Amino acid sequence: MSAQAAPRRRVAVTGLGLVTPAGNDVASTWDALLAGRSGVAPVTLFDASGFSTRIAAEVKGFDARARIDDRKLLKYANRSHGFALAAADEAMRDAGIRPSPQDAARWGIAVGTGMMGVDYPTLDALHRHAAPEGELDVGRLLGEATARDPMVFCRSQSTAGVALLARRFGIRGYATSVHTACASGGQAVGTALKLIRRGTVDRVLAGGFDSMVSPIGLAGFCLLGAVSPDNDTPERASRPFDATRNGFVLGEGAGFLVLEEWDAAQRRGARIYAELAGDGNSLSSYRITDSHPSGDGPIQAMRQALADAGATTADVDYLNAHGTSTPMNDRSESAAAKVVFGEQVGQVAVSSTKSVMGHLIAAAGAVEAAVCVLAIHHGRLPVNANLRELDAECEHLDVVRDRPRERRVRVAMSNSLGFGGSNSCLVLRNPEDLR
Amino acid sequence: MAGAQRIVVTGSGAISAAGRSPAEIWQTLLSGQSAIGPIALWDTTGWPRSVAGEIRDLQPAKLLGDRKILKFIRRSDVLGLYAASRAIESSGFAAWRDGLEAAAADRYNDRTGMFVGSGGGNYDGQYDYFPLMTAAAGKLEAFGRQLPEVVNPMWLLRALPNNVLCHVGIKYNLKGTNACITNHSTSGMLAVIEAAAALRGAEADRAVVAAHDAPVEPQMLAYYDSIGVVARDRLRPFDAARDGSLLGEGAGALMLETEASAAARGAAVLGEFLGGGAATEAEGLLPIREDGDGPAAAIDAALDAAGLRPADVGMIVAHANGTRNSDASEAAAIHRVFGNAAPPVTGFKWAFGHLLAASGMLDCVLALEALRSRTVPGIATLGELDPQLARIPVSAQAQTPRSDVALVVARGFGGTNAALLLRAAPAA
Repeated sequence: MSAQAAPRRRVAVTGLGLVTPAGNDVASTWDALLAGRSGVAPVTLFDASGFSTRIAAEVKGFDARARIDDRKLLKYANRSHGFALAAADEAMRDAGIRPSPQDAARWGIAVGTGMMGVDYPTLDALHRHAAPEGELDVGRLLGEATARDPMVFCRSQSTAGVALLARRFGIRGYATSVHTACASGGQAVGTALKLIRRGTVDRVLAGGFDSMVSPIGLAGFCLLGAVSPDNDTPERASRPFDATRNGFVLGEGAGFLVLEEWDAAQRRGARIYAELAGDGNSLSSYRITDSHPSGDGPIQAMRQALADAGATTADVDYLNAHGTSTPMNDRSESAAAKVVFGEQVGQVAVSSTKSVMGHLIAAAGAVEAAVCVLAIHHGRLPVNANLRELDAECEHLDVVRDRPRERRVRVAMSNSLGFGGSNSCLVLRNPEDLR
Repeated sequence: MAGAQRIVVTGSGAISAAGRSPAEIWQTLLSGQSAIGPIALWDTTGWPRSVAGEIRDLQPAKLLGDRKILKFIRRSDVLGLYAASRAIESSGFAAWRDGLEAAAADRYNDRTGMFVGSGGGNYDGQYDYFPLMTAAAGKLEAFGRQLPEVVNPMWLLRALPNNVLCHVGIKYNLKGTNACITNHSTSGMLAVIEAAAALRGAEADRAVVAAHDAPVEPQMLAYYDSIGVVARDRLRPFDAARDGSLLGEGAGALMLETEASAAARGAAVLGEFLGGGAATEAEGLLPIREDGDGPAAAIDAALDAAGLRPADVGMIVAHANGTRNSDASEAAAIHRVFGNAAPPVTGFKWAFGHLLAASGMLDCVLALEALRSRTVPGIATLGELDPQLARIPVSAQAQTPRSDVALVVARGFGGTNAALLLRAAPAA
């Protein structure tokens, strides 16, 4: 390809949109992250009173109809798609650009999407009609309305979200949905970076969305013992890097970024928040749920991302950690940071914003990439809430505790480490340093 | 293309109703005998649609030579793990790596990626909760309380859409760049395109690419039927009497390497990836534009990426899923790009069904077989060509490719389209 001889295309972040347990837009989420105001509370979306974990980080007071003026479109949307449409709308408005019929083919979309399945009321209806004894009676399935309802089918498809977003904004170029569990959102943003870099498209709507705060979703994590059982102190339950951490808190939401080829963004006079400068990906190939305690896996992703960005460890001022608050993740990730940064590890400020908004699963990587962009833009680092006693194994980390920190960020990193062993690391750079 | 790293194929694997290796499925295509038949996975008495490309007598433990892993994966994952393993083993790269000293092997693993196209899951995975729901008698409090006693603690892990990525990675110690794409029927093709881009971008030196799906389950069939896309008995692409598609299950896989990686160990080369592209129609989940704008744009993008002209294409493996509007719009797209000079066109789904996420991937595996055999298999179920599609050179009989380049097209929900170009390696 002749393009290889030309200088590499840079990617600008020009728009952000968030719907999170900490707030239903960017401004309110950012305020809560700085203040360390927890979005975790007892589950209200269903009766979780019998579950071993009865707390979650729910999106609160969200009304999709108030945010999206398209009733017909919303009929095809489940809860997480509503978050996605609202966050993407905010990101597009923030960027001040939308695909036009003339340039729609030069727009792409890359999303991290949650696991496929029907919602609990549908499953309940199926059970009552077609499996009352506990086993599916196939003969009765055909007589069950939800099992033949095209709308239920559409909402349950893993491509439902990307299809709704492409239609909403008229995006006609490369479209992809990815799923690598908790790394999905990060990998989607990384895919978007590459699509622009290699010239496939000039602009990408990139993000992630998920909602597993449901009986089946919460059950899956309870069975694995992965979620914190601190039901009496929900706002304290997510405490990444604390010696007493005992699991993550399930969250939900969506995060979107508008990414543009740098020169195109400059030509239209766009406000450039940050450069999306590097992406690193690796497989841990250790255990389904964990990376090696040595940090093997995440180490490669972080190093690749820095190399990809043309940055060195000395350039990094902020690491938004995956930091789930499980014993294994935080140990492995902290070991990885120590290996990657070496003697400089104490000069990198670290926080896990999951301490405030919980773990947004397939949305987490995209939401946290947006958080890094905000840290660069505002020169402030969000707090790692609930850290009282730093785990001895994480002692080398300079965790942003108690209050947010004023700091000009040259380079920020965002880690997302997934079940299944996929690791994603994104590197974002301060646009002022690109003169 | 000047200066671009060449991306070669050094291994392949496949499984479907039509066979358990690329060669076996290829023979089925040549034989003209479709492997689609009555569904045996459940009792279809009274079902209006009851035919699919089901893999009979699968025996997962025997297929994989591993019984323990079945606790962690589902049927679709079995297929993906099998096809990926076959592609890896046939390429010989893992055996070669195992001869390296430890530090070099670590570096090799860090430079070996994996890209997967996954169906994302089935409905029956959630049925594991039915016994608990019965025990709880509609009360969620009881559901939560009895959960640990009734449901397999590994439930969530078995349901992960990225299981093939995870378990192939662990089995072969792959540590490099990766993706799991859940984009309906373009998943596998996008996995190939992203893997090739990663190799060209020097993110890795080689990558396993696999796609898998197993949609032959009751609720899935009921839904597909409810949207009117399931045929009564035969999948007849481009036929005047075509009445829909038929679900199939299976997987395909390719081992992609940079030319340098393959040459370093003297690997046999099956073919070459030339370029790929994708485009979206943005009309929603189910609608398809009549004018074929999406597939035409994807084909144009693939040709552009490969630096080829339409006249360079020797054969086309169309998506050819047998539904009225998909086939008609795809024919329109082919005509828009190639005019009246299209090369021989065929499709493979008539023989084993529509493998959804795996369909484009399996088509790529088989396109290489076709190029290597210099044969474009006929669409054996094609009786009377739809007169409105007569400009497209499809046939029930075998044709001859006019060059060593194949175009493969895949189309999925959400108006997504992908196209890519492959070249056969010169015969040794």
